[in-house]
Amino acid sequence: MEDLTKKKTYVADVERTLYDIRDEDRSSYKTAKGLTEDIVRDISAKKEEPEWMLQKRLEALRIYHQMPMPTWGPDISALHMDDIVTYVRPDTKMTGNWKEVPKEIKDTFDRLGIPEAEKTSLAGVGAQYDSEVVYHSIQKELADQGVLYTDFETAVKEYPEIVQEYFMTLIPPTAHKFAALHGAVWSGGSFVYVPEGVHVDIPLQSYFRLNAAGAGQFEHTLIVCEKNSSLHFIEGCSAPKYNVTNLHAGAVELFVKEGARLRYSTIENWSRNMMNLNTKRSFVEKDGVIEWVSGSFGSHVSCLYPASVLHGENAKCEFTGVTFSAKGQDLDTGASVIMLAPHTSANINTRTISKSGGKATYRSAVKVAPAATGAKCLVNCESLMLDNDSRSDTLPVMDIQAADVEIGHEAKIGRISDEAIYYLTSRGIDEKEAQAMIVRGFVEPISKALPLEYAVEMNNLINLELEGTMG
Amino acid sequence: MADTLLEIKDLHAGVADKEILRGLDLTVRKGEVHVILGPNGSGKSTLMNVIMGHPKYQVLSGQVCFEGEDVTEEPTFERARKGIFLSFQTPEEIPGITVENMLRTARQAITGKRERIFGFRKELKAAMEGLQMDPSYAERYLNVGFSGGEKKRTEILQLLMLNPKLALLDETDSGLDVDAVQIVSNGVRQFHNENNACLIITHNTRILDKLRVDKVHVLLNGRIVEEGGPELVDVINREGFTHLQQKA
Amino acid sequence: METKEKTLYSAIPMRTWRWLGVNEAYVPDDIPAADGGEPAGTVLRKTVAAGESRTETLVYRSEQSARVVYEVEAGGTLHLTKVQLLPPDKGHVDALEIHVAEGGEAYVTIAELGASHTVTKVRIDLDGDHAVGDLAAIYLGSGSQRVDLNYVLCQKGRQTRADMQVRGALMGKSEKIFRGTLDFRKGSKGSVGREREEVVLLNEGVRNRSVPLMLSGEDDVDGHHAVSVGKMDQEKLFYVMSRGLDLNEARRLVVEASFQPVLERIADGDLRAEVEQQIEELIADGK
Repeated sequence: MEDLTKKKTYVADVERTLYDIRDEDRSSYKTAKGLTEDIVRDISAKKEEPEWMLQKRLEALRIYHQMPMPTWGPDISALHMDDIVTYVRPDTKMTGNWKEVPKEIKDTFDRLGIPEAEKTSLAGVGAQYDSEVVYHSIQKELADQGVLYTDFETAVKEYPEIVQEYFMTLIPPTAHKFAALHGAVWSGGSFVYVPEGVHVDIPLQSYFRLNAAGAGQFEHTLIVCEKNSSLHFIEGCSAPKYNVTNLHAGAVELFVKEGARLRYSTIENWSRNMMNLNTKRSFVEKDGVIEWVSGSFGSHVSCLYPASVLHGENAKCEFTGVTFSAKGQDLDTGASVIMLAPHTSANINTRTISKSGGKATYRSAVKVAPAATGAKCLVNCESLMLDNDSRSDTLPVMDIQAADVEIGHEAKIGRISDEAIYYLTSRGIDEKEAQAMIVRGFVEPISKALPLEYAVEMNNLINLELEGTMG
Repeated sequence: MADTLLEIKDLHAGVADKEILRGLDLTVRKGEVHVILGPNGSGKSTLMNVIMGHPKYQVLSGQVCFEGEDVTEEPTFERARKGIFLSFQTPEEIPGITVENMLRTARQAITGKRERIFGFRKELKAAMEGLQMDPSYAERYLNVGFSGGEKKRTEILQLLMLNPKLALLDETDSGLDVDAVQIVSNGVRQFHNENNACLIITHNTRILDKLRVDKVHVLLNGRIVEEGGPELVDVINREGFTHLQQKA
Repeated sequence: METKEKTLYSAIPMRTWRWLGVNEAYVPDDIPAADGGEPAGTVLRKTVAAGESRTETLVYRSEQSARVVYEVEAGGTLHLTKVQLLPPDKGHVDALEIHVAEGGEAYVTIAELGASHTVTKVRIDLDGDHAVGDLAAIYLGSGSQRVDLNYVLCQKGRQTRADMQVRGALMGKSEKIFRGTLDFRKGSKGSVGREREEVVLLNEGVRNRSVPLMLSGEDDVDGHHAVSVGKMDQEKLFYVMSRGLDLNEARRLVVEASFQPVLERIADGDLRAEVEQQIEELIADGK
């Protein structure tokens, strides 16, 4: 905590001035491993990209060099961009047929459960191996409905007009330094386009994985739900553990048109050395609904605050999140909602758990613009601490510029009550299981929002996390 | 004796150096219904919690035996598995855990056998009907948002589903309207048979109407000061506890 | 972007997105700096002796700036009331710092009603076991007033109790930032912290920023904070107006009702009457 009485002299806007100067300095530092224009051109060339995409990358690179590092949030000083190989290309070509996927890669996916997902015929599977999509399939019925679901490289080539219209408009490179980095070196990711009035009944799933030490992952996800359409998209991540600090700076841009509904679910379980600096934003038009379900379990450091811009009248946002921070982890998560139109509404519901020295931070921003009369927003966040080596902080901000609003925020912090444990043990349940039940109950609002197999996976993750501290 | 379920010998117990129970003896046999009467603060709830093994309470001396075995040092869940059940005066609200989930987990813990979901659900539904509970409560979070009466009914539902040997009922009838007391009372009667026993704390004799009470104990300042048959209930109802104060 | 040199006066314990503009607060332009950079003004240091009970009142009418530090020794009780009634063309800045030892209690009541630009901070450290920090404040923003509050209750001892209750109303084109922090330090076992802010927005054109922080390095605590922001309860307003009151009078009644629990803590009857008078006049002005 800072000494509040300490006085400093500040020149407003100081950072910008400094970084303008630093940019010039930096341009002379070009190393083989660092991020240079040559690397960016090479990425673009290998992907055989059109010129417009190359130009977008180069512009993002220029901005990247000008942007300061974030001035708040978890410590990311361990990150040395110059040491991170930003792009690793596996030795296989794109394929739409499972049989053609090399055995070694199949084995990796087996451990991730991807064939299971396929067997249970859960729509399309887009899986990312290292930084390239190697396997992809879309069920025929989806294609028949006119739904476009491809890896992002394919989308750039086949649907350039759609990509150009939306790509990095919601997350411009100027958003922050890692958004700029993403814009320069993005690779892989998913593209979904749901035409007007189309309802995709089964959740679309995508698996991501980092597979090389020192490799950053910068996948780009772009989803457009046209008028009155609906979609549930599930992003699941897991990555094996490596010695070198790994960086994940993906970007997810979601466009929800008038009357459309999009649910975007994620369970992230990155390896414990990952720096997860992911940016997710949605833009919601009149009567549209965005629903976020977000589970953060892995990584060394996470900064993840999915943002929803409620642009049209009556647009809605539902955010449900759970964060579990254990030993060596600093997970800074939350949400932001920008309410721009009348009668927009948002519900934010989060649970955070910290144990064994883990640090969990809930951070949010709710902004209500003067035009958003009749806006409603309810925030509820609860934090559970499993021991006193851990930390749990809550930092919400509400910025309200309209008067005819209903804004409520509530947060709780504490540990599992002894009385609740006693009650359950009085029913014959041993203490360890009673604690686990209460923790699972604590995150129930989130597991309830997930498809069954993901809810089971999340409960398994929680059980794994609890082992070792309890009993 | 072979049919002795609970035997408490010269029990001294309390919370954080404060002695609440000051030398208490009590024996409950199979098939019996015991009633404990006493004013607020006399130690009734403490007794229940000490029998159940609440970690907050310390036994200073004396013994709690269940079926001839000293359980004074046993953790709460082991006592539950041996067959002791406490219907709480103020049941805990536990978000995220459904009534059905808790009960199935508890029953598996007690019997050591896996419960098949289908059969268990059927049984649960039948028990809920008997208690005039809306079956949707099985899917609700344990006691969360339940009224006082619903909480107490849920306690009795647990009693029926877990079928213990000894039921400790801590003011299960308090705060209930006449109809609800009837329902709870019917539930207890349905539970009770010659192989199990009830130890009941109550301020209201209506719950006892349908039960054959064997013994009544009056608790004052942590000691049993008067014992007798069911007639003692009426005496206390008429005269209160004051005439017993000097015995305490 | 402003490039004028400003003096940082207070900040939230953890920074967040800069675009929200809530990280730092600066000294109002019209308050000169003394040597060493602190705003010029009175500096008070007082001690409430062990076992003593003391009532203190600070009223700002013309003095713009002060720094007040209290040491509450073991078992001592401090009742402190601060009322700020500066004229609407003056800036205001002050810092109030209270350290509470074992079993000590600090009750602080604040009314921020005047000044063009208020930047104020309160910090109560519950250093000793069983220490109590209880802070209740009201603010009324009108005209083009800017109100910037930064309150921190830091719980260090075991079984401490912190309570922060803030009631506010904004009208005209006023702007307000409230930063309220409950900080449970490691070792503050068995401590309870509560924070609640209720803001009534009386007309369009105001801007309310609320930043309730809750920080914890201790699991054995019970912390809760809540904020509610909205326009006046329309049912209440209708009820009062159905008894013949006009809108301004009705607004005054509803705002006063919301402030009542805090106003009641002002022990000095004359001062309380003056505060109530000020609230009445500000709302009657309707600006």
